[in-house]
Amino acid sequence: MKAKYLLALPLLLLSFLLNAQDDLLEGLEQEDNSPVLATFKGTRLINHQTVEVPGRRTLDFRIAHRFGAFNSGWYDFFGFDNGASIRFGLEYSYDGRLQFGIGRTSIDKVGDGFLKYRLLRQHPNGWKQVSVTLFTSAYYTMRKDPDKEANGFDKYENWTSRLSYAHQIIIGRKFDDRLSLQIAPTMIHYNLVDRISDKNDVFVLAAAGRYKFTKRAALTLEYGWRINEYTRTQYYDSFSVGLDVETGGHVFQMFLTNSPGLTEPQFFAQTTDQWKDMGIRFGFNISRVFTL
Amino acid sequence: MKHSIKLVILLLVALPTILSAQKWFSRDAKVYFDATTKGSPERIEATNKSGTVVLEQASGRVEASVLIKGFLFEKALMQEHFNENYMESSKFPKATFKGKIDNLSAVNFGQNGTYTAQVSGDMTMHGVTKPVKTTATLKVNNGKIGFTANFNLLLSDYGISVPTMVADKLAKEAKVSFTGDLQPMK
Repeated sequence: MKAKYLLALPLLLLSFLLNAQDDLLEGLEQEDNSPVLATFKGTRLINHQTVEVPGRRTLDFRIAHRFGAFNSGWYDFFGFDNGASIRFGLEYSYDGRLQFGIGRTSIDKVGDGFLKYRLLRQHPNGWKQVSVTLFTSAYYTMRKDPDKEANGFDKYENWTSRLSYAHQIIIGRKFDDRLSLQIAPTMIHYNLVDRISDKNDVFVLAAAGRYKFTKRAALTLEYGWRINEYTRTQYYDSFSVGLDVETGGHVFQMFLTNSPGLTEPQFFAQTTDQWKDMGIRFGFNISRVFTL
Repeated sequence: MKHSIKLVILLLVALPTILSAQKWFSRDAKVYFDATTKGSPERIEATNKSGTVVLEQASGRVEASVLIKGFLFEKALMQEHFNENYMESSKFPKATFKGKIDNLSAVNFGQNGTYTAQVSGDMTMHGVTKPVKTTATLKVNNGKIGFTANFNLLLSDYGISVPTMVADKLAKEAKVSFTGDLQPMK
């Protein structure tokens, strides 16, 4: 019995000594349970909306620009001479969760207004393993009916015929510091369609991803798969591949895409060119943020 | 005899607990840094108000820790860049300091007054550990210890590179100020 106690004594002494050299901070330190940051570098990847919204009190001024298609040949210098489409956007978030924005796109003279809400943010631990952002947008075309004289009527006689809409649930995940992916079930609605047999609703499954190969540069990829038959006009799925470069307060995105349109109803459901025929174009987005 | 041995064991088990009563701590210490160059159009500064500090009175050992993601900037994008591109906070979530007061005899924890403590130890940040040395002011005031420490950290010491495109704004050295109130740990 005694021997056992004697054996225990040095052990206890040792444990005491170890204890004295212990981590002083043990039990006091906070755990880092803040949300995962920067799943994507900007609120848009190429054409698609990302799960990101601007940070608190941040105004994002965006310029999106697409040149003409490569297959326009030498005469138009492979698209650089003509066919440029531009969108200017002013987008703001006060709290870093709810974002609103307005924009103007040159193609079809479209004005747009949208809301984006960050419903769920991915966390490193726990059940929130993805980010979910809701996006809803309305588009108003300000162009005149080009066929008014020929048809004898104005197809925009009713102003609501100028409207179209897009709604998305964007689900994204940052897998590690380099790889981020997202999918977005998307619904597009046109108040007015071209033919009587055309459907007003288009469903699209949008997928996008980025792979950062340096701290400030990333490869980006986007695809929009149109699920339902909605028109007899020959359109193609939108596919884009690009490069994100970050320079301090700017994010510069350059890419190749087969979609000339810059609004969701245009690039998701009305892309007239395809990669196979070199119907691709060079484009870039510039984002400049201001803190207000 | 048996009982006395039991008593000794009991004492030995309890001793660390008794000693640990002589610790002082804070969980809301303030860490502020300024890494703005002279003439920069925007200020590069941030504050973290939830630093943890523990001071063991008997040995003079000091440990402090702060979460990198807890640094708040005025500009959200700057905060994101700080975490993503400079501190890589998902990989290195904390900055820690482990060291001791070298002139412990100069500090009388039992008497109100202002004392100057020489603190030295290891700073770990962005995965790099470097020895640091600074002077801290300790103000003992009725069972509380207020402290202030100011020091500079060279970013390159911690493997944080400053790209040329921001070199006109971001200084090579960050001025850090660390302040707080320590309370006795019960």
